[in-house]
Amino acid sequence: MSESRSGWNRRDFTAGAALLAMALGIPAAGVKFTDPGGEDLPSDRQRNLIADVSDLVIPPSDTPGAKDVGVGDFVVLALAHGLSGTRTPMAAGMVTAALEPFRRRDGSLRHLPWLEHMLDRAAGGDFLRHDRAERTRLLAALDAEAFAQGALPSPWTAIKGLILTGYYTSEAGGSQELRYELVPGKWEWDIPLVPGMRAFSSDWTAVDFG
Amino acid sequence: MTNDTQFDAIVVGSGITGGWAAKELTEAGLTVLMVERGRNIEHQTGYATELKAPWEMPFRGQGDAALYAWEYPVQMLNRHFNEFTEGHFVNDAEQPYQKAPGKDFDWFRSYQLGGRSLTWGRQCYRWSDYDFGANKRDGFGADWPIRYADLAPWYDKVEDFVGVSGAAEGLPQLPDGRFLPAMELNCVEQAVRERIRAKYPDRVMTIGRTANLTEARPEQGRAHCQYRSICARGCSYGAYFSTQSATLPAAKKTGRLKVVTDAQVHKVDYDAKTGRVTGVRWIDTRTGEHKVAYARMVFLNAGAFNSVHLMLNSASEAMPRGLANSSGVLGTHIVDHANTMAAMAVMPGFEGRTSFGNRPTGIVIPRFRNLDRLDGDGFTRGYSFQGGALQGTWTRGKRMGGIGKDYKDALHQIGPWTMVLVVFADSMPRASNRLMLSRRTDPRGVRQLEIAFEHGKEEMAALADAHREATAMLTAAGGHVIMGFDRPGHGGTSIHEMGGARMGWDPKTSVLNRMSQAHDIPNLFVTDGAQMSSSACQNPSLTYMALTARACAAAVSMLKEGVI
Repeated sequence: MSESRSGWNRRDFTAGAALLAMALGIPAAGVKFTDPGGEDLPSDRQRNLIADVSDLVIPPSDTPGAKDVGVGDFVVLALAHGLSGTRTPMAAGMVTAALEPFRRRDGSLRHLPWLEHMLDRAAGGDFLRHDRAERTRLLAALDAEAFAQGALPSPWTAIKGLILTGYYTSEAGGSQELRYELVPGKWEWDIPLVPGMRAFSSDWTAVDFG
Repeated sequence: MTNDTQFDAIVVGSGITGGWAAKELTEAGLTVLMVERGRNIEHQTGYATELKAPWEMPFRGQGDAALYAWEYPVQMLNRHFNEFTEGHFVNDAEQPYQKAPGKDFDWFRSYQLGGRSLTWGRQCYRWSDYDFGANKRDGFGADWPIRYADLAPWYDKVEDFVGVSGAAEGLPQLPDGRFLPAMELNCVEQAVRERIRAKYPDRVMTIGRTANLTEARPEQGRAHCQYRSICARGCSYGAYFSTQSATLPAAKKTGRLKVVTDAQVHKVDYDAKTGRVTGVRWIDTRTGEHKVAYARMVFLNAGAFNSVHLMLNSASEAMPRGLANSSGVLGTHIVDHANTMAAMAVMPGFEGRTSFGNRPTGIVIPRFRNLDRLDGDGFTRGYSFQGGALQGTWTRGKRMGGIGKDYKDALHQIGPWTMVLVVFADSMPRASNRLMLSRRTDPRGVRQLEIAFEHGKEEMAALADAHREATAMLTAAGGHVIMGFDRPGHGGTSIHEMGGARMGWDPKTSVLNRMSQAHDIPNLFVTDGAQMSSSACQNPSLTYMALTARACAAAVSMLKEGVI
C-alpha cells in the first residue's frame, strides 16, 4: 500500500511544491509539503505562456476569459501535483524523439517545457512575440494535430483538459459562463431545451460522465 | 447508566447495520455501547465541504493527485472520492491491508462515525427467493437457512423507517417494497423503458429505488431531497438515510446509548468456561491507550471484512482458529459483484428536451436471466443493470478539437443525451476467495487483513452476456452504442464485498445460524455483510438492515428469556 501506483516518489515531488504554492499564492492549507527547490518550478516565461495559451483556448466574450480568472496558475499547480494523470510515467511506445528531452527520471513528461518548445518551434522563435491572431493560428494548428483522427496521443490533450478544468471550476466560468445551482430543490424531469440555455457546472453526473 | 464499562450489549461499528443494532437494542430497553474506530462526525455541523463551490477548494474539487497517489491510492479509485468527500474515506497509508500475491482487491472504506452510511450509493432492493434459493439450486456455497418469507416483514419495518422512494413493478425477482413516491424517469429513460418493453416483454426498466426522501419526515427531523446529488459530502437536510440522519438520533433519544469514537476494537473476549463472549478490547487511536468494556452480548457490525478480521484476531486458547470458527470456514466464500460499464450509447431524437435538478438515483433493469428457466450461457445466476440517461456539460470539451470563441460557445450549450448501463453480476461463493490474517501489523500493532479474491469463469460469462444484451437493448431503443466492456474491474470495485462468516443450517459448514447468531457462541451476533451466504445481484444494504433488525428482536427475546 505504500507504493505509489504512478511510480512517482515523494522525493521527486516535494521538490518545488511548497515554493510553487507560495509563488502562485495558493492557500497554504492546500499544499502540505515542506521540501522546496527543484526542477519543477516554472520559469516566469512558462508561467506567462500558459496564461496566454489558456486565454487563446477560452477567450473573453460576454463573460471573462481564462486569463482573467487565473487559469494559467491553476494549470501550473495542477501539473506540479499530477492532476489528470500528468505525473504518470509515459508508456514506452509513446515516448517519441520529440518527447524524450522532456522526460523526467520517473518517466513522466515535463508538460510546460514541452509546450514552450513546441510553440516556439512552430513560431520560428519567440511564440509570445507574435500578435494574438498569429498565436491563435499556431495554437489551433497544434490542437488540430492532437485531435486529428488517428493521431498519436499528445500531451496537449492533458494540458487542454486542465485549462478547461481551471476555467469551468472558477467562479466566473462555473457560474457566469455556465449555470451553477448548488440547491436545485426540485426535479423537473422533462422541460423544453430552448436555444441559448446554458449547461450546468453543478450537474455532477454530467461532469463525471458527460 | 450506573457503570461506564458494563452494558447489556456492545455494538462494534456505527455504519448502516451498527446504527440499526444500536437503535433496535436501545429501543427494546437495553443499555448499549457503540464502538467506532474512526472519528466523530456530527450530523449537519460536521459536513465541512457540503456547501463549498469548486472555486472555494484548493484543488477545485479535483483534489491533490500527489497526496492521493501516496496516501489514498485505493480510495482515489472510487468514483465518489474527490476533494469534497476525501474526509469521508480512509487514508490507505494509515489503514493498510494486504492482497494475496497476484490478486487485486480495491477495498473502499470509511472509518468514521456513520461509516459508509455517509458515502453509500443508497440503492435499496429486496432480495427474492431466486436469491435465497440460489446456493441450493446450483450447489455453490451453503444453502441459506432463510427464505424471502422470513425476511419480508423486516424489509417492511426497515423501509418504513429508512424512507425508500421507488416504483412498484410486481416483479417476483425484485419484490416491491413500501415505497415513497418515485422520482420520475427523464425523457430518454421513459422512451427507453417503453422500447425495451416492446422488444423484450420480460424486461423492465424502472427508477432506482433509493434511500432519498421524496417526502419530508418531520418526526425524524429530515427534509425532502433537494436534488443536489452530492450526498457523499454529508447532507444537512438529512434527506438520505445515514446513521447520523436517522438511526443514531433514534438510539440517542432512548438515553441508553453510549458512543465511543477513535476506538479500534482488536479483540472480542471469550470465556471458555461459560462459552460466552464477555466484552471487547480497543485501542484509543488518539492516545494509544488500551481499553475494555463488558456486556451480556456483542453485535459485530464493523463492515463485512472488518468483522471477519476482528473474529480472526480474537483467536484464543479455546478457539485457536478464530472466534466462533469451529467449522473452519470463517473468512472463506467472500463475494463481491462483478461490475463493469456494459454499454454507453448516444441517444438521438431528444434534442429539444432537458431536465432541471440533479436526481440522486439512476435506473435499474432487474435480473432477467436464469429465473424459472436456466438460460444463461455458462452461468447459473443473474445480473442486473443500473445507470441512466444524462446530458453532457463542459467536460466533453476535453475530447473535442478547437480553441477560441466558437469552441467556448459550443461548450456552454447543454450536451447531447447519452445513456449508460452498468452491470452488477452475482459473485459465486468459493472457498478459495477468502480472508486471512497477515503477518504484517498496522501502525497500532494489530495484525492486518489479507484478502485473496478473484472473479471466476461464471462471472466472466455473465458479464459477456450482459455486454451483448446491454448493446442490443440500447440499440433497440434507438441508441448508437459507442463503448462497452465485458470484463470486470478488480474485486471490491462494486463496494458490495460480503461473506466470510456465512449463515447456514449446519454448524460444521457455517459460522452463523439463521438468526445471525454464532453457532458456537450464543451471545455473539454478526449482522453486517459478513453473514451473507451468497451475493445476489442486488445492492445488499437493505438486506443487511432487515437481517439486523430481525437479529436484534431475536437477541432481545433470548436475553429476556434467559437463554443468553
